[in-house]
Amino acid sequence: MQFLSSGFVILWVISFALYYLLPAKRQWMVLAAASVLFYVIGTGGIPVGLLFTGAGAYLCGIYLQQSLAAQGLALSECADKEQKKTVKQGFERRRKRVQILYFVCSLGILLFTKYVTVMPLGVSFYTLTAIGYVVDVGREQCKAQKNFLKLLLFLAYFPAVTQGPFNRFAKLDGEFERPHVFSYERMFFGVQRFVWGAFKKLVIADRINLFVGNVFGGETAPGSIYAAAVVLYMLQLYADFSGYMDMALGVSETFDIMLPENFKRPYFSKSVAEFWRRWHITLGTWFKDYVMFSFVMSGAGRKIGKNAKKRWPKMGKHVTGIVGTMLVWLLTGAWHGRTVSYLLWGLYYGVIMCVSLVLEPQYGKWKQKLPIKEGKIYALFCMARTWVIVFLADVLIRSESLAQAGAVYRSLLLDFRMAEGIFTVTDYGLSLYGFLLLFAACLLWLAVSILEERGKDVRRALASCPMPLRWGCYYGVTLFLLVTGIYGGSYDTAAFLYQSF
Amino acid sequence: MEEKVLEILEEYCEEALDYTGENMMEEGVIDSFTVINIVSELEDVFDIEIDAKYVVAENFRNKEAIMELVRRLVEEA
Repeated sequence: MQFLSSGFVILWVISFALYYLLPAKRQWMVLAAASVLFYVIGTGGIPVGLLFTGAGAYLCGIYLQQSLAAQGLALSECADKEQKKTVKQGFERRRKRVQILYFVCSLGILLFTKYVTVMPLGVSFYTLTAIGYVVDVGREQCKAQKNFLKLLLFLAYFPAVTQGPFNRFAKLDGEFERPHVFSYERMFFGVQRFVWGAFKKLVIADRINLFVGNVFGGETAPGSIYAAAVVLYMLQLYADFSGYMDMALGVSETFDIMLPENFKRPYFSKSVAEFWRRWHITLGTWFKDYVMFSFVMSGAGRKIGKNAKKRWPKMGKHVTGIVGTMLVWLLTGAWHGRTVSYLLWGLYYGVIMCVSLVLEPQYGKWKQKLPIKEGKIYALFCMARTWVIVFLADVLIRSESLAQAGAVYRSLLLDFRMAEGIFTVTDYGLSLYGFLLLFAACLLWLAVSILEERGKDVRRALASCPMPLRWGCYYGVTLFLLVTGIYGGSYDTAAFLYQSF
Repeated sequence: MEEKVLEILEEYCEEALDYTGENMMEEGVIDSFTVINIVSELEDVFDIEIDAKYVVAENFRNKEAIMELVRRLVEEA
């Protein structure tokens, strides 16, 4: 089941009505039932993978909780520090073994479905979410959930199960547990955000896809056409994924369940590191918390760090950070896709991140020596530098093959043909009218983004405008969406790009 | 102890010294790479072991939180 389908709207409306009719204690049951329906209809069968991953996480969580309680009891009976240390280490070792067994099993299912069979709906998302839950219980950052259905709801909460955002148990479980009272304003804001997400998806992302799909699906094009296609692909990916997030957060907002933001206007970033702090935020923090820090603070990570410091007294301190960063980026690449292109994409970002982080103090010195004034022009230069880096990476993941990516880079550098590109740009599936509409929609999106970047709460500002202006805006965007959105039987409006990752 | 922590912060992340907010990690004042360097240095200087469970935004929200974490771990060691 997709967000942009009549089935989803019916499910949303019915569960919304039931949710606010039931007593607060039973509201989570409506969400659990809606999530099961959403998932079962979406996959067309019994969600074996989800049940297996959920059951494993449930049992693992209970075991970890009991082990922590037993450890506390055992420690209170210890006579001295040495004994306490030995007892603690014993418990920790046993907990670690159970956790590793769970990680191997759940990641095994993920890898098997990703590389051998067809990927079930949301498998990448609920697997990582379940692993995060098990780690959090082990780290005592949350208590284990004793109700299996509630844990299943956390893993498969229907607005988030297909593409995220990645949730943390301590936060989302608290949202499910608290009572929720109907609010017209919240419902309105939720629907408004959903419509805005649909606007980005149908008017911008899907329109761009007509052009980009033809450029990359056809024969070799001039470099200028490829440049336009990659720039538009950068926008498409952003509109598509952030549009989905707007819809997911909007649906959840109507139920008074606030999900974490996953985007903070990444194209305003002045460095690649900042870009990745603003793009798919919850995936980035997942990898940072559960992979990078776990690795660096593990026995192996510490050993690497100590040896490196001994061998290279000056630069050795960076080695664990570099290994951790490269590990995270290679895994991020592998998580996004099954081809070598995605691994190269991860490697590319890993190297850029490491080089920029290691050389950061040096940049500061160079900047002081050069006549550079920090102002709007310098900020724009930094943003443009980030766009170029992202542009070069996106060639890799948009191209149909590594060979095509090579051909695109070659065309961009050696066969640009600017004039030919300008005159033939409408030959690739998007008419001049289509480009003008796209430009107008992007301009509206940019205006909203600039206001948000300046700290304005656009939704609240709009809500406080005089009624004719306010409703003029609402109707304007909705009409724009209905009239100019890309629809049609032959065109799959519902397929989101990130769903395939 | 506080002086030593401040010295380490000065070496790896000078902005952290002037930061007065409540979430250095989320606001990009301190990145994960710098956190790793700071943790490694704190472990060496204070002879403590900082487990991954302590490396969370809450314990690195500002310089006071880092000092509090070190104080706690030194006492526990």
